[in-house]
Amino acid sequence: MSARRLLVGLLAAVAILTLAAGAAAQGTGERLILTVGLDNDVDSLNPLVGVEVPDYEVWNLHYATLTDKAAEDFETIPGLAESWEGSDDGLTWTYTLREGLLWSDGEPLTSEDVAFTINRAREEGWLNYDSTVANITASAPDERTVVLESSVPDPKLPTMDVYILPEHVWGELGPREITRYDGLDGVGSGPFTIAELRRGEFWRLEANENYWGGRPAIDEVVFRLFNNADAMVAALQTGEIDAAHYVPESSFAELAETEGIVAVEGQQGGFDELAINGGDGLKEPHPALMDLAVRQAIAHAIDEQTIIDRVLEGLGSPSEAMSPSADPEWTPEIPEEERFDFDLDRARELLDEGGYLDTDGDGVREMPGGGRPLDFVYAVRTESQSAPGVAEFVSGWLSEIGIATTQQPMNDTRLTEVIGRGDYDMFQWGWVPFVDPDPMLSYFTCDQVSADPDEPTNYYNDANLCDPEYDRLYEEQKVELDKERRVEIVHEMLRRFYSQAVYHILYLSPDLQAYRTDRFEGWVRQPADVGPVMFSNSSPSYALLRPVSEEDEAAEGGGEAAAATDDDGGMSTGTLVALVALALLAVAAAVWVLRRRRTVDERD
Amino acid sequence: MRGAVATSATRVAWARRRRAVAGAWGDYRRSRTGMVGLAVLVLAGLVALGAPLLADEAELRAVNAIDNPSWAPPSEFPPLGTDNLGRSVWAQFVWGSRISLLVGLAATVIAIVIGTVVGVSAGFVGGRFGGLLMRGTEWFLVIPFLPLAIVLAAVLGPSIENIILVIGITSWPGTARLIRAQVLTLKERLYVDRSRAFGASNRHLMGRHILPNVMPLVLANTTLTVPIAILSETTLSFLGLGDPSRASWGKMLEEAFHAGAITREAWWYFLPPGLGIMLVVLAFTLCGQALEAILDPRLRERRS
Repeated sequence: MSARRLLVGLLAAVAILTLAAGAAAQGTGERLILTVGLDNDVDSLNPLVGVEVPDYEVWNLHYATLTDKAAEDFETIPGLAESWEGSDDGLTWTYTLREGLLWSDGEPLTSEDVAFTINRAREEGWLNYDSTVANITASAPDERTVVLESSVPDPKLPTMDVYILPEHVWGELGPREITRYDGLDGVGSGPFTIAELRRGEFWRLEANENYWGGRPAIDEVVFRLFNNADAMVAALQTGEIDAAHYVPESSFAELAETEGIVAVEGQQGGFDELAINGGDGLKEPHPALMDLAVRQAIAHAIDEQTIIDRVLEGLGSPSEAMSPSADPEWTPEIPEEERFDFDLDRARELLDEGGYLDTDGDGVREMPGGGRPLDFVYAVRTESQSAPGVAEFVSGWLSEIGIATTQQPMNDTRLTEVIGRGDYDMFQWGWVPFVDPDPMLSYFTCDQVSADPDEPTNYYNDANLCDPEYDRLYEEQKVELDKERRVEIVHEMLRRFYSQAVYHILYLSPDLQAYRTDRFEGWVRQPADVGPVMFSNSSPSYALLRPVSEEDEAAEGGGEAAAATDDDGGMSTGTLVALVALALLAVAAAVWVLRRRRTVDERD
Repeated sequence: MRGAVATSATRVAWARRRRAVAGAWGDYRRSRTGMVGLAVLVLAGLVALGAPLLADEAELRAVNAIDNPSWAPPSEFPPLGTDNLGRSVWAQFVWGSRISLLVGLAATVIAIVIGTVVGVSAGFVGGRFGGLLMRGTEWFLVIPFLPLAIVLAAVLGPSIENIILVIGITSWPGTARLIRAQVLTLKERLYVDRSRAFGASNRHLMGRHILPNVMPLVLANTTLTVPIAILSETTLSFLGLGDPSRASWGKMLEEAFHAGAITREAWWYFLPPGLGIMLVVLAFTLCGQALEAILDPRLRERRS
């Protein structure tokens, strides 16, 4: 008995000591952690196949590229390569890597890794690499030299911005395995490497001691997911997170006025579209949507300006054609006679002419000659703040021209799958383009229309439309070295794409972001002055962030306190009164019911 | 002559029933909370039924509200202001009451019908068959409601019928057990034995003696199941599993929450549906308790 007691006592003592030690360790080695809130989960951290914006943010931090992009203007600057030289015909480029490059696990990073990545990507046609490396062969004559040979003139060279993978990890995976790999090995070459991923909760990256630009000043970056944008804003206001991506439009103005918080309206060519199934994929949509006239009628029934004013609260701008680049010069103007301006009468006329009439008088048109009603399935993204509002408007206008819609809420993973299978009528989603228009343009080629029922998500073409003429123009611009001529071809492609009415651009939307100034400083916008501070093309901020120095912090603290009192005063009297009334009512009801119960018991 | 006797027997039975109802109503009227609950319910019913008179259905659509200001407080856009898309909150509140009450009542009907049928058969027939039914009931009882409802709603797709179905088929087990317990005591009563001795068939016993006697209990249980069904509808809508094309109080709360009404302190957007749900649920509970007190002799107030 006493022996057992002793044992228990000892165990307790050990436990207490361990806890104390843990606490002490935490106290001394305080890690500098930047926490970023967002509302969109990663889909795959494998840079071959992931498509979501947060994936790119992780790769931008985790993998270095041969050439980097300047924060100010996306200009090609040294990355892993410190210099490069081109041959006279522009087909061969020789890069010299920096000295002493190491992967985060201590293995040397050599030209073999670069050659491995580019050659295998070309041979196996990796989804995210293909448009950049399709015509390029890489060789590694010595450890620090990479030679890229392009079989055709390539306007993008010498820029080479694909993520370079460690051959000693990825080289062991077979062609099928490699597209299904989770990418969580933690071996990287960027400023931070991925350390932990918990889907639906957060992912965490740690500073890379071996980063060629020097170890970053902060120790960890944590991306935390929020299901509700309001909760994210509140977390930013209380300092629970340091920065927030996709701040809701409704609280943007308030955040912009808060002291100690900087709100950023980041323009980088991102847009949202209403996509209609073009029917060339694995499955056809509602038969009416295969008719260009019906798609045009839908395009005529959408008032973009109202959507911008109401759903985006004015934080967006209209665009007719798709914007394929962060640089607006690649986006063409659509001539007035080719435009599908908001005109419900014209939309009705198009449907009438096509023979889509409401024969049974229920307010919904049927296919020519009666039969199947024009009722389209509209997938509404649950991970988007604007989708329900846009859906409300679009469904409203469509019902006014006699088209019914059935809204189906879907999360991104499911919607990606549904798009790949071609099993949808329409949906709203968006893109954030790269600097060069090529990748964005490549997504709508015939190659990218889903064709493999086993891997339906390994394709990009979410218009599911195959237009050979578009493909021909795509190939033409891909090898056009004259920039002006290339811009012309791109404009022609985009006008053509616009005329098919499968991809209706709803608006160009800035990335709304906000960050606190009390703990970290050094945020940079990419491109300068107009771009976002995070989730940009090469995400330069994180490596440059440093803790606010002590004096600054004191000053900031004062500002924050002032902001906090401001906030309290800001709570409207109406809300307070209403909340108090609600609480009183609830208490009164509870007391009433309880008393009633008790008296009943007493009477018993 | 037989006909005449039968008629008068029926008449006597009806007169007795009328008296019983009048007596119960007299008891009910004495319950102050019950009357308050009833008044609130009548009001809610009037709002739901009179929705077309109180607000234009077209106002529910954002495309018809383009001229309205968005986020307008009640002072600017009476009576209840507008939401983020400029839609009238009053119109949504009024039309939303229909869906909320409809789902609450319809789901309760499903739950009560299943619960009563299972309860009466399990109690009256008993034996292995009854045991089997009760094991099935217990199986449903231990399944956590919310995950099952979410899975069902996700699989069946978001529509008002599916929501009713989902809530209906997940909330009957309590009723079944309650009814079964009552039937077990009823079938041992002397008059049932006597009736059986006179050669009454099972059908006759069930229809004439058992069912009429569990009916009051079913009624009381119904009024207590409705609020749970309404809250379930709110929960599912709030989680985004409701019918996206129809306004309900739960959907209003969901939209207000996602549009940022709370940070924006747009109390006129989230308070009306919240208070509406609270009051209706409270009213049903008060009525249910008052009915219970009348029907359950142990809770009955002694007449002076």
